[in-house]
Amino acid sequence: MPRFFYQTLALNNLKKNSQTYRAYLLTCIGTICMYFVLHSISVNQALNEISGGAQLKILLFFGVIVIGIFSTIFLLYTNSFLIKRRKKEFGLFNILGMEKRHLAKVMFWENLFTALFGLTVGIVSGMILSKLMFLVLLKLIAFKVPLAFEIPFSSISTSVALFGGIFALSLLYNLGQIQLAKPIELLRGEQVGEREPRTKWLLILLGTVTLGLGYTIALTTESPLQAFSRFFGAVLLVMVGTYCLFTAGSVGVLKLLRRNKNYYYQPRHFTAVSGLLFRMKQNAVGLANICILSTAVLVTLSTTFALYVGVEDQLRNRFPRSIDIVVYDVENTDMGELRAHVFPILERHAVQPQELLDFRNLTITVAQEGDSFLVGREYFSDFSPNVGFLSFLTLADYQKIVNKPLALQEDEVIICSDTNYPYETLTVLEQTFTVKEQGTPFTGQGYLDSFNSYFVIVKDLEILGELHKAQAKVYGENASSFTHYLGFELESTPQQQLDIYKEIRASIANPAVDINSRAAERDSFYMLYGGLFFIGIFLGTLFLMGTVLIIYYKQITEGYDDQKRFVIMQQVGMDQAEVKRTIRSQVLMVFFLPLVTAGIHVLFAFKMISKLLGVFNLTNIALFAWCCVGTFIVFGLFYGLVYACTARVYYKIVSV
Amino acid sequence: MHILEVNNLKKVYTTRFGGNKVQALSNVSFSVEKGEYVAIMGESGSGKTTLLNILAALDKPTSGEVLLNGKNIGEIKEKEISAFRRDNLGFVFQDFNLLDTFSIQDNIFLPLVLAGETHLEMNKRLLPIARQLEITPILGKYPYEVSGGEKQRAAVARALITRPQLVLADEPTGALDSRATAALLKLFTEINDQGQTILMVTHSIQAASHGKRVLFIKDGEVFHQLYRTSLSTQEMYQRISDTLTTIATGGERRA
Repeated sequence: MPRFFYQTLALNNLKKNSQTYRAYLLTCIGTICMYFVLHSISVNQALNEISGGAQLKILLFFGVIVIGIFSTIFLLYTNSFLIKRRKKEFGLFNILGMEKRHLAKVMFWENLFTALFGLTVGIVSGMILSKLMFLVLLKLIAFKVPLAFEIPFSSISTSVALFGGIFALSLLYNLGQIQLAKPIELLRGEQVGEREPRTKWLLILLGTVTLGLGYTIALTTESPLQAFSRFFGAVLLVMVGTYCLFTAGSVGVLKLLRRNKNYYYQPRHFTAVSGLLFRMKQNAVGLANICILSTAVLVTLSTTFALYVGVEDQLRNRFPRSIDIVVYDVENTDMGELRAHVFPILERHAVQPQELLDFRNLTITVAQEGDSFLVGREYFSDFSPNVGFLSFLTLADYQKIVNKPLALQEDEVIICSDTNYPYETLTVLEQTFTVKEQGTPFTGQGYLDSFNSYFVIVKDLEILGELHKAQAKVYGENASSFTHYLGFELESTPQQQLDIYKEIRASIANPAVDINSRAAERDSFYMLYGGLFFIGIFLGTLFLMGTVLIIYYKQITEGYDDQKRFVIMQQVGMDQAEVKRTIRSQVLMVFFLPLVTAGIHVLFAFKMISKLLGVFNLTNIALFAWCCVGTFIVFGLFYGLVYACTARVYYKIVSV
Repeated sequence: MHILEVNNLKKVYTTRFGGNKVQALSNVSFSVEKGEYVAIMGESGSGKTTLLNILAALDKPTSGEVLLNGKNIGEIKEKEISAFRRDNLGFVFQDFNLLDTFSIQDNIFLPLVLAGETHLEMNKRLLPIARQLEITPILGKYPYEVSGGEKQRAAVARALITRPQLVLADEPTGALDSRATAALLKLFTEINDQGQTILMVTHSIQAASHGKRVLFIKDGEVFHQLYRTSLSTQEMYQRISDTLTTIATGGERRA
């Protein structure tokens, strides 16, 4: 036996199967590279020096874990596909006199070569890219001071360990496949007789119900809190529905079409319907996977992108004034004290407070039922959809904010909110008020915008006091007390705003006082949303890679299956052009069905996701819509490109 | 009247890089009358398949011509060739070539669907053929659910349903057991008796002995031919066998 026999044979095998192995190698390199880059950034020491860097690192580490999990799934899937295709080859070796242990040796070397090549190229390209991606991350989180970046050794070792483990698992799987099989089975390999798929009505029913339920939940969710608690349930339902309908529903529809004789027995439909019927049987799960992955890509990219682009909006929503100060648990209702404390500091810096918001209010947690608001722990759990807040202000304070004279009777209120209040009265704590008008919405404490809550303007302090006493009776020691709010806009540099903020902080050393500066929070916002977007890009790319991979291998498998079929069709009198047209229509259908379905999923999820984004203070729905459209177009273009490339491979196989 | 006329057919294959030339057919001429049942015999590599491919317009000859009903099939435009094949020729293959994504019935309908026939017309044509070929009970089944003989009868039905000028059969008994072979050959004789012209390529003496005329091809030429006239199948079998022995042992050419 020549030296290096097994090694040479292994290398030759890889070369011979290059059409399928090339994509596998590229995936290996791609996933290893991405894992390496994200890992090396997440453990980077320099990030510790940034304020908020620790949270960013946690976020990145989370991304590393997700990428690790999906890389494992994708690579194992691809490997199983490759081995299935090569069973015949192994059967031949087996019959020519190689024992299974010899085959195992060949397999071992093949895997080792693949692993070495993938790890080397993946890690080296990861090293080159990580520096660049680190700069991109710093740019995204708007961090201007250049930070040193060195490649941590731990990234190399964890990448080698993780992906070495994946390759070892693949090898074990392959060995198991060979060990279990008999030579004759190996030779026959994939030609297992195809039965006509049966219509599974139960699955169709299940799919329709789960998908319908998922969509209904997504459409009927009104409050962000609800969205939070229901989102994963809805996602799960839609996933189940997608799998059921792709597998059973498609077969059902095609069979119905086939039963319609006048439709079915037409040249264009005849081969397409019967071809698709069998194609769907083999591919439904793969297509459902593609559909769900595509949806994941679309949602991940569009939300993280929208959050990132809208970061200034969110900042303004969460912190409506340059500086705002909230004093909790105020016993008296005198507001002069706080102003006397703060304004001299502004004067020293020679800045004028603008767009002044200066009021005291009483905020009560309530459960809304139509026009009556129930007060008491027993009326709601933390996530019940009707929970909200009523925040009471006096008319005097409100007039100062809106700057116009108004009058109210004792039983009259003005309601201010972004959401419309459709009722004529408002009942709370056994008092019924008549709604005199819907007031100008003014932005107060940020959180009130996120949830369906209302500012309620009452006549005077006396009524405010009565409400305070009434709710104190119900809630006991959990009762709310008065709050002072002082907020103003400053026209000055961010640095000066920061200085003023620090000075105010230093002068008020009371833990019951909450002081926020938009300038001070800006960094952490950019850190969070920039970091999220960064991970979104990574995950999006990974999912896209997975999608592409599945599509590519589907095409190849089908190409081999269809080869014989189209030869026969030409023999019974179908010309080349017709054959091509038939192929194209079937492939197009199979290809773009998941994309279209993904688009529909996103469309239905849109409302729910925008509610969720509201929790992150993103209220610009139009922005999110544009992000969705943009992502869809970019993704669609990419998808089309992949289609064009794989279709060429497919034609090549079929037209042999 | 000649339904098929083959004149001085020659086919030379050039290997991919142009080096070697292989002469598959050197000079083949023969003709087939309407209603004839002709078997073409020859060993592997004698050029049978090449000849059949050229007759089926799947391949083009290097020189020479093939006339079907007086029409030179070499002159048919590429675009019309599929329609021509569909309308004039019926094929029966050794390995049946049924599509496993179609039921037996839909397999038989395939050429009619491609020709744009209505569903009613298809059914009208199918019924008598299915009855004669005894495949009525399996029409709804799929190819992988029926036996080899049944598959081949289905393939014959697919060849006949377009009412072709000529049925071309390539080694039709090659994948069948002896009982199915006997049944299929009997069927071919029956169809031929009803006036269908059949051209069969085979190297099975049993299959050839059912033909009304047997052409022997050797080294790309028609070497000899036998007419059945009034011989029984048994006697025909003996004559073919003798001829093959003569050819194999290098006898004189007598054609």
